[in-house]
This record gives sequence, structure tokens and C-alpha cells, in this order.
Amino acid sequence: MSNKNGTSSPKASSSDLTALEDRVKAAQERHKPKDYSQNDDGSLLGMAWRLSTELVVSILVGMGLGYGLDMLFGTKPWCLFIGLGFGFAAGIRSVLATADKMDAKTSDIPIGDDMPLSDDELDY
Amino acid sequence: MANDPMKQFEIKKILELPQIAGQDISFTNSSLWMVIGVVAVIVFFALTTKGKLIPGRMQSLGEMSYEFIANMVKDTTGPEAMKFFPFVFCLFFFILFANIIGMNPYAFTTTSHLAVTVAMALFTIGIVIVAGIWKNGFKWFKIFVPSDLPLPMYLLIVPIEIISFLSRPVTLAVRLFANMTAGHVMLKLFAIFIAFLVGKGGLMAGAAIVPIIGTLGLVALEFLVAGLQAFVFAILTCVYLNDVYHVDH
Repeated sequence: MSNKNGTSSPKASSSDLTALEDRVKAAQERHKPKDYSQNDDGSLLGMAWRLSTELVVSILVGMGLGYGLDMLFGTKPWCLFIGLGFGFAAGIRSVLATADKMDAKTSDIPIGDDMPLSDDELDY
Repeated sequence: MANDPMKQFEIKKILELPQIAGQDISFTNSSLWMVIGVVAVIVFFALTTKGKLIPGRMQSLGEMSYEFIANMVKDTTGPEAMKFFPFVFCLFFFILFANIIGMNPYAFTTTSHLAVTVAMALFTIGIVIVAGIWKNGFKWFKIFVPSDLPLPMYLLIVPIEIISFLSRPVTLAVRLFANMTAGHVMLKLFAIFIAFLVGKGGLMAGAAIVPIIGTLGLVALEFLVAGLQAFVFAILTCVYLNDVYHVDH
């Protein structure tokens, strides 16, 4: 880069510049927001765990809310059934969204809107 | 050793404490291992953050772990979410240390109990709700109401959105709990199988090599799961914290 006196020789400057450019690029690459969801349970078992817990938990939460409303209004068992239906709908919805995300990782499909922000949406 | 694979999850009281409002608050083996985990985290960071200008090996480890979580929070939620960095940091390292300590023989895996993981998940969603309302006022509730829909659809969509919002932290808790419990049960089963085959003697004892190899592989896998689940919990916490800052999505 520089000779013994600490001044850079004019001859080497063009290659120096390209080297510097490469380093700047590498540094910028490092500071780019990474898509961490990529690392999130990449294995098949992880996917299976994730999808199944999402569905089951959504149904249980829906039923729990329905049961709570039943207790509140004394309308046993109707809110529970309605909650079951909504829970199932929510579960299917989140499973589909997660499956979409898993797909988007492998192919270059634009990802859904409940993802963490992508690179160009983040403003620093 | 007990040969019941579920016995390792048994809660034992170590110190009896008087009840508060009808709740048993005795100090149990689970509490003890949680305290050990917290102390281990504190000791780790006390030893690795000496603040030397040229970091040694241990100091780099501490600094790297700081940067790792800081970048994760910045990248998934945005720089304004760095207020929550201490929370995510504590969560990650508590779970990581609890999981790894639980891998030691005779240690108790605190994260294999739903009560522990649900407490962490409820705290997370509590933070999202409180911080969301604090920051956005009651406009925050717009996250349940997507824009541009025909009016009757709101009757269906709003309850579904509320259920998805509430079920996300529960999913988080169940996932950590299920992974840890399943892993430890599997390990125990394989280990029991070795003892069983050796006990039979003769040719059967020779066949014990198969579960030995299996156990070795499982131990490695469990260490991976211990780290991965801590990471997943932390990253999903960051994703949920998005709801605090990005109301109109």
C-alpha cells in the first residue's frame, strides 16, 4: 500500500483503489441487515414442530378465549364453539403464513407482510 | 438411577416456605437450578468484560455475544428497538445457560417445564402490549384491524387477528418446552436401553454398541438444540417487538 516513508506510490494507486473498494464493499456487506429467519429451524423436524405447534396452540387459545367469554356471560358452551372455529381459522392462517415464509426461503418469492422488515424497508 | 424417563423432570422441594395468598412458593430444585443459571451468566460476563483495549480470548467471546444480540435486535426490529436490547439479551442468555446446564448429568433442566417457558412468554407479550400502548396510544390496537377490507369481513378478521396475536407467545413457550422435554426423554430412553442390553449379557451386551452410538449422536444434537432454541426464542421475541413500532403494516 505505502512505501517505507508512508507515502503511497502513484504507480500502485489504481490497484490500491480497487483493493480499498473491495474492502469497503465487504464491510458494507457485513453491516447489511441479515435475514435471521433463515436460520430459524431449517431442519425438517423443526418445520414440523413449528407448524404443528402453531395450529394446536391457535386452536387452544381460541377455545380458551371462548371459554372465558362463556364464564363471563354465562352462555356455556356457545362461545367455546365459536372460539374453536376462530381458533382453527387463525391456526390455518398462521400455518399458511409460516409455510409461505419457509417456501420464500428456498425460492425467491417475495415474502409476506408480517415478516421482519427486509433490507430496503429498514431506514438507518 | 431411576429408569423412568420422566423422573428427571420431577420437582422436589428443597426449602419449605410459607404460602403467600394460597400459593406454594417453596424453593424447589427447579428454582435452585434457575439461580445457578443466573449466577453462571453473571459470572461469565463479569469475567469476560474486563474492558481491555486488546481483547483476550474470553473477552472476545463476551463482546461477540453482545454484538450478536445487538445486531439481531437491530436487524429484525430496527435500531429504535435497542431499548429492548437488555431484555432480549437476558432472555437469550438465561435460556442458553439453562439449556446447557441442563445437559449436565444430575442437573435439572428448568426450561423443560411449561411453567418456566410460559412465564417468559407472558412477560414478552406483556412488554409488547404495554410498550405498544405506551408508544402509540390506543392507535396501537390497529394491528388487529387490517386496512382496506369490506366492512363485514372485519367481524371475521379481527377475532382471528387477536387469536393469532395471543397464540404467538404461547407457541414460543410450547416450542421451547417441547424441544427440551422431548430431547431429554429421548436421551434417557437411549441410555436406559444401553443398561438394559448390557444387563442381558452375552450377545445382547455386544449389541449395546448401537444405542451407545445413538446416545453420542443425541448428545451432540441436544447441544445444538439447546443453542438453537435459545436463539429461536430471542429472534421471535424480536419479531414480536416489531408490533410495538410498526403499527400500520
